[in-house]
Amino acid sequence: MATSGTIVMPGERIASIEEVAKTKRVILGPGLRRVDDTVVASKAGPLRHKEPNTFWVDNYQRRYVPARGDLVLGIVRSKAGDLYRVDIGAPETASISYLAFESATKKNRPDLNPGDLIYARVLNASADIEPELVCVNSNGKRGKLGVLPDGFFFKCSLNLGRVLLRENCPILAAITRQLPYEIAVGVNGRIWVKAHSLRETVALAKAILALEQAGYAETDKVCDNLGDYLEA
Amino acid sequence: MPSKSKPKLSRGVLDMKFMQRTKAKVDKETADEQSRALYSNEINEKMLNSNSNYIVEPSYSICAGLIDGRLSFRGMNPEIEQLMEQEQTEKQRLKKPEQPKEVSDQDMAKTYYANKAPALTSSMGKKFSTKKDLKRKQNGDSDNHPHKNHHKAQFRKPRPDDD
Repeated sequence: MATSGTIVMPGERIASIEEVAKTKRVILGPGLRRVDDTVVASKAGPLRHKEPNTFWVDNYQRRYVPARGDLVLGIVRSKAGDLYRVDIGAPETASISYLAFESATKKNRPDLNPGDLIYARVLNASADIEPELVCVNSNGKRGKLGVLPDGFFFKCSLNLGRVLLRENCPILAAITRQLPYEIAVGVNGRIWVKAHSLRETVALAKAILALEQAGYAETDKVCDNLGDYLEA
Repeated sequence: MPSKSKPKLSRGVLDMKFMQRTKAKVDKETADEQSRALYSNEINEKMLNSNSNYIVEPSYSICAGLIDGRLSFRGMNPEIEQLMEQEQTEKQRLKKPEQPKEVSDQDMAKTYYANKAPALTSSMGKKFSTKKDLKRKQNGDSDNHPHKNHHKAQFRKPRPDDD
């Protein structure tokens, strides 16, 4: 991923993207808007570019805006008839049908209670209707989705979640060298971790939260010091 | 009147295990068709004909190519690790579809021709040869029987310097 250094402000017209769009198709990610034939930023932050033709603004944000296909962590809030209401950190609670779990039928409902943590995919996201989640893929298999038992849950900025989920992210590999663990990172800025002991789990959470203020460039330095958090 | 609609696979067939990919495809097609029918009176000429070079993608995960966030390391959750491994192998398979060649295409063609192709080329060549060619060949053959001079193809011991 190429990280260009330009910072854009909302309302700023971005001529470099318009230039590219003259010759080929361009994918405008979050934080960019098309106004007729011009491209305008709608969020403040560094402009990111991924080869060949994807652009987006990587702004600092803690409020999650649901987008179709995202993998999120949610907390079950209540049961409403056929639906469960799930808090995913978005302006509105999301809903998940009791049938959207592996091998769930009308008779065989999933055992889900208020307070449970689920890792789910956003199926529908629109500004006007509440987001809908599923815990199965298109073949009806659970895959990696579903309820997360035990462990420790905490919130962070959306950016930190994205930093951890980059391909070949050095942070997770650095922690792996210290201890065995499992983790679920939602792009909605929620993280769930689990290690063998409570002490290790809390240290793991602290180590990840220490990265909150680090940029892409500083992550290597922080990774080297991760051991301190884990031993503390 | 014969119906113009395309033949469809029955639900019973689509529910079979090996038809899952076809089922996904068929589902997508019908969904597309429905949405097209639903919005057909809302879409105006300008929308159809304007070919914009911009595609809007509201998801960070797709734009930045983020990985799935459910991970397990060093045997904490074997089920997840197995899935991760499967994904990894799948990705590698897609990344380099062909293995590096040990024998170059030219070498292969040369060896193939030397070993096998003469028989094939001659039999295919017969199809395209004229009667005149055939007659000339027969006459030539009758003059000096080349087949009698040929040794039958035999296995030859490879020299130590070829691998």
